[in-house]
Order: sequence, then C-alpha cells, then structure tokens
Amino acid sequence: MDPSLYLDRDTFVHRLDPRTKMFLLLGMFVLAFVFTAPLYLLVVLAIVLFFGYLSQSLANLGRIWFILLAIAIVSIILWSIFGSGETPLFLFVEREAFIYGVSIALRLDATIIAGMIFLSTTRNEEVAIGLVRVGIPYRFAFAVSTALRLVPTIVATGLTISQAQRSRGLDLDSGNIIQRIRKHVPLLVPVFVTTVRSTNVFSMALESKGFGAGSGRTFYLHIAMGSRDALVLVVFVLLLAGSIALRVMGYGELEGFTL
Amino acid sequence: MKEIFTMWRHTQLVVLTALSAAIYAAVLIPFKGFPIVPGFIELRPANVFPVVFGLLFGPAGAWGAAIGNLIGDFFGTLSLGSLAGFIGNFFLALLPYKLWSVYFRSDENMEQNVNSGKKLAVYIAVAFLASTVCALIIAWFIALLRLVPFTIGLISIISNNAIMAIVLGPVLLLALYPRVKRWGLLWTEIMEPEEVSAPRLRGIGSVLVWVGGIGGAVAGLILSLTGASPMGAGVGLALIPFLIVIVVGAFMLGGREQVEAAHEMIATEGDESEA
Repeated sequence: MDPSLYLDRDTFVHRLDPRTKMFLLLGMFVLAFVFTAPLYLLVVLAIVLFFGYLSQSLANLGRIWFILLAIAIVSIILWSIFGSGETPLFLFVEREAFIYGVSIALRLDATIIAGMIFLSTTRNEEVAIGLVRVGIPYRFAFAVSTALRLVPTIVATGLTISQAQRSRGLDLDSGNIIQRIRKHVPLLVPVFVTTVRSTNVFSMALESKGFGAGSGRTFYLHIAMGSRDALVLVVFVLLLAGSIALRVMGYGELEGFTL
Repeated sequence: MKEIFTMWRHTQLVVLTALSAAIYAAVLIPFKGFPIVPGFIELRPANVFPVVFGLLFGPAGAWGAAIGNLIGDFFGTLSLGSLAGFIGNFFLALLPYKLWSVYFRSDENMEQNVNSGKKLAVYIAVAFLASTVCALIIAWFIALLRLVPFTIGLISIISNNAIMAIVLGPVLLLALYPRVKRWGLLWTEIMEPEEVSAPRLRGIGSVLVWVGGIGGAVAGLILSLTGASPMGAGVGLALIPFLIVIVVGAFMLGGREQVEAAHEMIATEGDESEA
C-alpha cells in the first residue's frame, strides 16, 4: 500500500517551481473563500479541475472521491439544519440555507482537490527544499520531508505486524468498527517501538554525514523560478484580484442567508 | 516556551519529531475514510499519540503531532482548516508536558508515567484539558471561517481527542515509558536545564490555561447554542481573549524543573552504580 499521492508525469505543472505551486495552493484557498454564491464557486471548482487536467493528476480523484462525496452530503445537511433563509423549501429547511450548504460543499471540495493536485505534482524533496527557500529553517523542513518519506515505511511495518498476528490466529476482521479499532490498538505498540528504536542509530548516521555541522547548506536538488513560473503567478494574481474586485462590487454573494 | 525553539539543536529531537510525525500520520491516514464532520474531523484512533508524544518527547512530540496532523491532511483533506489543525495538535501535545509538573511537589517523583493512582489522575486531567484546548482552537477557526458551526466542531473534536487519549493513552504510556527511558530518549534527559524555560508563577499559569480552555469552550457553546453567534466574526472575536489567556498561561508553566529532576535522577543512579 502506497499512501503517497505523487504521480510521476512530465507536465508543465510538474515542472513548475515548488514555491510557485505553494503560492498557487495558498491563493486557491483564498479564492475559494472570496465567493459565497454556488455559481461562482462552481467556476472556482472548474478552474481547479482544469489545472488538475493540465497536470494529469485527476486520476487521484478516484482515491479521495469518498471524502469529497461525504463532504458534499454532510455540508448540505448540516447547513440546511443550522442556517436559515427567507424562502421555505421543504419542512423546516429554507432555500437559502440549502444553497449555502451547496456553496460550502463546493468550497471545501475545491480546496481539497487543489491540495490533491499540489501533492500529485510535487515530490517530497521538492516540498522540503521549497520550504527552505521560502525561509523555513532547514531542520524543520528536514523533519517534514523525513516524516513524509517514512509514512509508507511505517504503514508497511503496521501491515507486516498485523499479518504476523493474523498468522498466529488474531481475528482483526470481525465485529463492528469500534470493536475492530480496539483489536488494532495493541498493534500500535510494536509499530511505535520498532520505529522509535531506530532514533539513536538514525541520529548518529545523520551526524556522521555532517548534519548541523555548518550554518550554510548545499542541496543536491536545485530549484529556480523561471519565466514559466512568473507567467503562471501573474495570471493567477490577476485572477485573484479580479475575483476580489467582483466581490467588492457585490457579485458572487448569496443573498437572504442568515445564521 | 523557549524549549520549542532550542530543541532543534539536538539531532535526536529532530529525528524524534520526524518519527513522531510519521507514526501519527501513518495511523491517521487509514481512518480518512471514516469522517465525522467530513473534511475536518474523522474517527481518529491515532489521537492517542499526541498526549503520549508530548509527555515522552516534550517539544519534539508537540512539533511531531502538529506536523503529523498536517501530513495526515496531505492525504486527502488539505485545506485552510489544516492551519488550525497544525496549531491545535501542537497544543494537544504541548500542554500535557507543560502542565505535568504543576501537580507534583519538587521532592516527589514526577516521571511522565502512569504507574500510580495520582499520576493516572494527573494524566486524565491534562489529557482532557489538552483535548479541550485543541478542540477550542480548531472549532474557533473553522467557525470563524463559517465552515462548520462551533458546537458541532467543538463537541466532535473533544470527544474524539479525549476518549482516545484517556481510554487508550495510559495503556500505551505504561508500555512505552520504560523502553523510551532505557533508550535514553526522554526529552527531559536529552535537553539541558538552561535550554528549557523556567516556570514563572506556574500555579497561576495552570489556572489560566484551565480558565482559557474550559471557559472558552463554555463561552463558545453558550454563544452558539443560544443563537447569539453560532459562527463568524461574533464567536471569532468573543473567543480571542480565552485563546490569549491559554497562550499566556502556557508561557508561565515552564518545564525546567522536570529536566532538572531527570538529570538529578540520572546522577543518583550513576553514583549508585559506581558504588
């Protein structure tokens, strides 16, 4: 099982500098919060999906469709109950509250798909060096990238331990979800112990290779912002500024909704 | 709270941060498919880890919990709410170790274990408070952004955090503490006393954290349930003083006394083995 979302493709999105992709991701989070009307949010979602199409990363939607669908259903139900409006729709639900629920579902799904595209097009090493280049201390960036790299290893360790216990007769599959979680808890101890036991060896290996020996570091992976990055950033900033201007002029607002 | 910065000098603590984050994320990810409030809160057996990480690895555990939660979000739920998740999980692991020594006299054994009735009671209290503060931070932020009503966010996160940490945490801590101590990986043994902030009026600091955490949760629930301000700027502004009180209280708690006690214990054990 590989939980990583990265897809090794040769697209122009993959070739963008990781810092550009970080700024685009943050900007997309802002863009999703500019509007509250569902039609405008549908356009935002379409832009995100178009970017996903360009990066050939929409295949990963198959891995998170359940979360996206659950978000949509629960948001609509939640806001239909908690929100209120002016036009009755059915029973105690008002039309504006229902539409607000749809807007929130679109907003959340757009941001999550944007996050998915970022991870589908950016390798762990690029995330780490991108963090360092935007001013995050190297040791923090190292911890993030090491943790990202170790997740599949730890998941594999957990699977090995559970298979070893199953071969000894441990039944992990019967019972309801709570009972199954309880059966998995004892397996957390060997996962933790196996992983943490390597700390001292890991630390010595790092220090023997000069980890933290000097203040200035060099990197095997080189990144540089090029004209492609500048063009994408300019287009996105214009899009964001235009959206904010539209919102200030009164467009893209859901009328009649109150809490 | 200078130890949250000085810990980065120690390679062992950098590695423990990475390993804690990786373990937390690895156990979070398989449960992404069981959402409670989709996109924000899912069923999280992994929530047993932050409190245990905090007690064993101190500031490295706090950073590990924050990074681990962020990495968990990388696998399907990365959004603006991830920022609140990062800070909330940081406090979920930070407060247990900061608060731990407040409830012990300086001549008492204050090892971060649950091998006595008093220590178990302290563990339950700090785990509950840390769970509440984590829930308050995340519920406040997502209510401020008008994404999820405060009541729903707060109750689901508190119950998720507290049940896992209180029911499963003591068993895990009891099993892990002796091993981690034997390997010399307790934060109190790795860090030097001068690298850790000394307490300043820690009794008052503890009261501030309790008042900020429980008071903020209750005030938010009242605002939300009475319909005065279920979310948005109203609840957002009203809860800011409580969040400030929590941070101020955490600054006053210190942690140096735990490091000094651990170093004294190591010195005593060394003398005994030489004798």
